[in-house]
Amino acid sequence: MSQALGSDLRIDSTLTLNQVKVGCDVKIRVLSGPGCQRLRDLGFCEKMRLRKLTHGRNLICSMCGTRLAISRELADQVVVEPLDMAS
Amino acid sequence: MQQSEDIHTIALLGNPNSGKTTLFNSLTGSNQKVGNYSGVTVEIKTGETRTPHGKRLRVWDLPGCYSLRAPSKDEQVAVDALSGKLDGEKPDLVVCVVDASNLERHLQLALQVIELGLPVVVALNMVDMAEKAGLRLDPAKLSEELGVPVVPMAADKGKGVIELKQALRFPFPAAAHAKWKTEGEDGDEARRDYILQICEVAARRTETHQSTVSDRLDAWLLHPVLGWVFFVGLMFTLFWAIFSWAGIPMGWIEAGQDAVAGWVEGLMGEGDLRSLLVDGVIGGVGGVLVFLPQILMLFFFIGLLESSGYMARAAFLMDGVMGKAGLSGKSFLPMFSSFACAIPGVMATRTIDSAKERITTMFVAPWMSCSARLPVYFLIVPLLMGESEGGSWKQALVLFGIYALGTLTAFVVARLLRGKLGPEKDHTGFMLELPPYRMPQWGYIIRHVVERGWSFVAKAGTVILGLSILLWALSTYPKLDADDDGEALAHSAMGRMGAVIEPVVKPLGFDGRIGTAILTSFAAREVFNSSLAVLFRVEESDDDVETRDSLREKLALAKWPDGTPIFTTLSMISILVFYIYALQCLPTSAVVAKESGSWKWAVGQFVFMTGFAYAAALVVFQGGKLLGFG
Repeated sequence: MSQALGSDLRIDSTLTLNQVKVGCDVKIRVLSGPGCQRLRDLGFCEKMRLRKLTHGRNLICSMCGTRLAISRELADQVVVEPLDMAS
Repeated sequence: MQQSEDIHTIALLGNPNSGKTTLFNSLTGSNQKVGNYSGVTVEIKTGETRTPHGKRLRVWDLPGCYSLRAPSKDEQVAVDALSGKLDGEKPDLVVCVVDASNLERHLQLALQVIELGLPVVVALNMVDMAEKAGLRLDPAKLSEELGVPVVPMAADKGKGVIELKQALRFPFPAAAHAKWKTEGEDGDEARRDYILQICEVAARRTETHQSTVSDRLDAWLLHPVLGWVFFVGLMFTLFWAIFSWAGIPMGWIEAGQDAVAGWVEGLMGEGDLRSLLVDGVIGGVGGVLVFLPQILMLFFFIGLLESSGYMARAAFLMDGVMGKAGLSGKSFLPMFSSFACAIPGVMATRTIDSAKERITTMFVAPWMSCSARLPVYFLIVPLLMGESEGGSWKQALVLFGIYALGTLTAFVVARLLRGKLGPEKDHTGFMLELPPYRMPQWGYIIRHVVERGWSFVAKAGTVILGLSILLWALSTYPKLDADDDGEALAHSAMGRMGAVIEPVVKPLGFDGRIGTAILTSFAAREVFNSSLAVLFRVEESDDDVETRDSLREKLALAKWPDGTPIFTTLSMISILVFYIYALQCLPTSAVVAKESGSWKWAVGQFVFMTGFAYAAALVVFQGGKLLGFG
């Protein structure tokens, strides 16, 4: 029972990249959706850390020193967790 | 790219913005050429280099790509080149160019290439910038983990190029074993885990996010308000510079063309051969060459914006606006370039990932009013306003309206066409890497400008030369023994066509002479003015404005057989509308055919735009008459 609760809490703490506030450092948990292969090619992958820099129709994030702009539609396919929870 | 016995081929492969082309230029110097493959719209550059031991190597610069899964045209070319499908020849070694600051991302491609079983050397590029950003690199450890030679370098500063050439000495290193690959495990996951493991030891980065100069610049340049102010200001400056500065070398070319024509006229007696050389060959080639300065300047600015890193920001800002036309930010530059000339605009569509978006952009780009239409607008607009040519605000307003009408129609048609083509099969949404701002690489820009300029002169020039000769023949034969140019033209095949097409153009408010002038301007729009001058028997003056003034006087007096004026307000608006919409530029059609990989698109575009122009002019003239105007 306690194990189930812990798992629930962990799922609750996940957000999509769209939902994260600007300036937050996050770690990618899962990539899921039709665009995830292209996201992987661009360098997005599980366990990768990134910072969200701007919000809007296309959002900008910084990952491994590179700035990447992706649409909201794609950002919804990037499930992340705040870095303090992840570490 | 035929392989000879003693020369081996190396291929440069890397993500976009990894410095691959800079390395290619460092390796090959001026010893390179651009190869085009039929049906493929992207290019592979080939060049030659020598190792320090004097061995000659052929170098391929493959298109930048993120993976070998090949969803885009660029990536397909790279995959085909590596597998030997392109020309039946596989590279003997692959140099994977990786950005040292982004190993987590760039090593994905390097690992995929190693898995192909090809010998690989990793060029660890931009190490200076990576170290500046606080990364602690260990190339020896990286080499040990990957099982391939790793050469640290800064290609833009020429550092490490000799060391790379040393690593390319013969015999090439053996293909490495992909030790991350395990039976039954997902390849992507295995690569990802292995890369993170390598980076932990060979490319350690500081934990905290560091604000860079690019971050600080982007805070201004991508600002929701200030970013737009800068962007609009920059685009206006660029536009103005292309129009005003290019006028000077264009004048030189025209003067040179006149001098050559004068020289030929002085050298040869009057006759058909002289007429062919002066009117057909020199006139035809000159008609193309005169646009070269604008094209070179446009490519210079494009190179400057690309090289500095701002181009990606412009695409980012414009994505929302272009989205309303069913396109994305990546279509902005081709559309904008087309205001100067549709040819570089169509060429610039190569950067668009989505094939359907690319073809849509190519299709509507010629509706951005290009500079070749200006002489026609400058002739008709003052006549329409009943004024002489000059800086009247009313004329400027009409000109603005002309530009706006073309642009709006292009957006509406793009939206409809994009809807008709359906969603992209593998639509992934907008994604773009915003490279760091860098000082422009002048060598790259100049090379780019020269390459594009030469490509324009060689390819478009040959097409227009052939057609100019054809048009000359049509407007010269059959000959009439009369001194009157107008009568001779009326007697020629072209003139007879004018008489035949009068019933076709009459509903638009045009007589046979205007119809003939329109027909001659299908090779190049600006021919309309000189054809009208011949047909309405106007003495040409050295000064273009003076010639247009006297032509306008003649046109204002031109009458139908029943005595009513030909050039009414309605017929003039009808001419303008026709010129806004008609695709009267054969080099553009040739470039569209080449870039789309099919003549069908070029023919379809020509038929659609000309049909649209006819219908729009018909609606304006007949609708106007019905409403009691004119």
